[in-house]
Amino acid sequence: MSDSLANDSGDLDQDDSQEELMTPAELISSLEEAWLNEKFSPELLESKSEVVECVLEQLTHMESNLQRVKKGDAKASIHRMEVDRIRFVLSSYLRSRLQKIEKFFPHVLEREKSRGEGAPSLLSPEEFAFAKEYHANTETYLKAVALKRMPPNLQALDLLKAVPEPCLDSFVFLRVKEKQENILIEPETDDQREYVVDLEEGSQHLMRYRTIAPLVSSGAVQLI
Amino acid sequence: MDPSEVEFLAEKEMVKIIPNFSLDKIYLIGGDLGPFNPGLPVDVPVWLALNLKQRQKCRVIPPEWMDVEKLEEMRELERKEEAFTPVPSPYYMELTKLLLNHASDNIPKADEIRTLVKDIWDTRIAKLRLSADSFISQQEAHAKLDNLTLMEINTIRAFFLDSLNCMYKLRSNLQPGSATGQFTDF
Repeated sequence: MSDSLANDSGDLDQDDSQEELMTPAELISSLEEAWLNEKFSPELLESKSEVVECVLEQLTHMESNLQRVKKGDAKASIHRMEVDRIRFVLSSYLRSRLQKIEKFFPHVLEREKSRGEGAPSLLSPEEFAFAKEYHANTETYLKAVALKRMPPNLQALDLLKAVPEPCLDSFVFLRVKEKQENILIEPETDDQREYVVDLEEGSQHLMRYRTIAPLVSSGAVQLI
Repeated sequence: MDPSEVEFLAEKEMVKIIPNFSLDKIYLIGGDLGPFNPGLPVDVPVWLALNLKQRQKCRVIPPEWMDVEKLEEMRELERKEEAFTPVPSPYYMELTKLLLNHASDNIPKADEIRTLVKDIWDTRIAKLRLSADSFISQQEAHAKLDNLTLMEINTIRAFFLDSLNCMYKLRSNLQPGSATGQFTDF
């Protein structure tokens, strides 16, 4: 017991120091990576709440500083432009997540429900609230508009079946950040054979998302 | 992805400018810039360079590769090789466009450069179309796309990926048993 506690706190310390080691510039680039990955992956990726929170903190800090400088300051206008650029990336990232939640809400909620204890959360608390509300509203709407006028035996509604799942077999473009060996490529047709490829660092590829999905969440490849 | 978003990413590339004002070091969230002294070249991101240029506060120094001779060599190489040749900058097209549109008076032979880059772009896009065609007709499952830039990928992304998905749906419905409810659209 004490062992596991010690381990836990050790892990926490490590996490903390990692976050502290991250410079604001690295923080911004990790936000940009998350943005591109989210934009191009067919399914909803893990929520990057820490990154989002840290960036927001930086932005509010900078904005409160900016309010104190007088108008017409050359430096302030440059800072303001940078803040606007970062805000754009941040909102585009959050928006693309919301779009995916709206599109796949039953599946997202299902995955969140079946997620194991301690596994990283797919949704931030706000996104989770949004997904639940969206789910409830869609259901109520469908019932009010059509279902309650149907014969009783047709009134049941299974949103999990009614809403299409994300298509993990879509192709994606990706750039390799850490060398990977022996990635199995499944054949397209029956008369082709499966084969393996090595992904060299810095190379770019086109392949099915399903093959490399774990590499996207581990950060070994970047979707482009 | 919208082309303007690719351009947004390109605006993060660094470019040298010669400012005509002086300003201390600026501590931006994404890194420090400056100090700015009149007449001394300094590295800044393209978005700032263009902003300063529009306010006539600096002169832009074009990147080294933005040079007629170098681009002519590149164009010849691109036409000769069957594969994609390495490009001088991952955002060559966007940077050419941005710099030539906003700072053409600082770039010697701007018109020639515009034509050359367009030629290189056209050659590469033609190659890209050819390879996309053979990718589909041979029903490949993996392709290596080294040296392609984001903007180039972006020009065929929507059309290409959607067609692949469409064909995948059609094909998986052909094989009985493999068709799941996964693709039933409304």
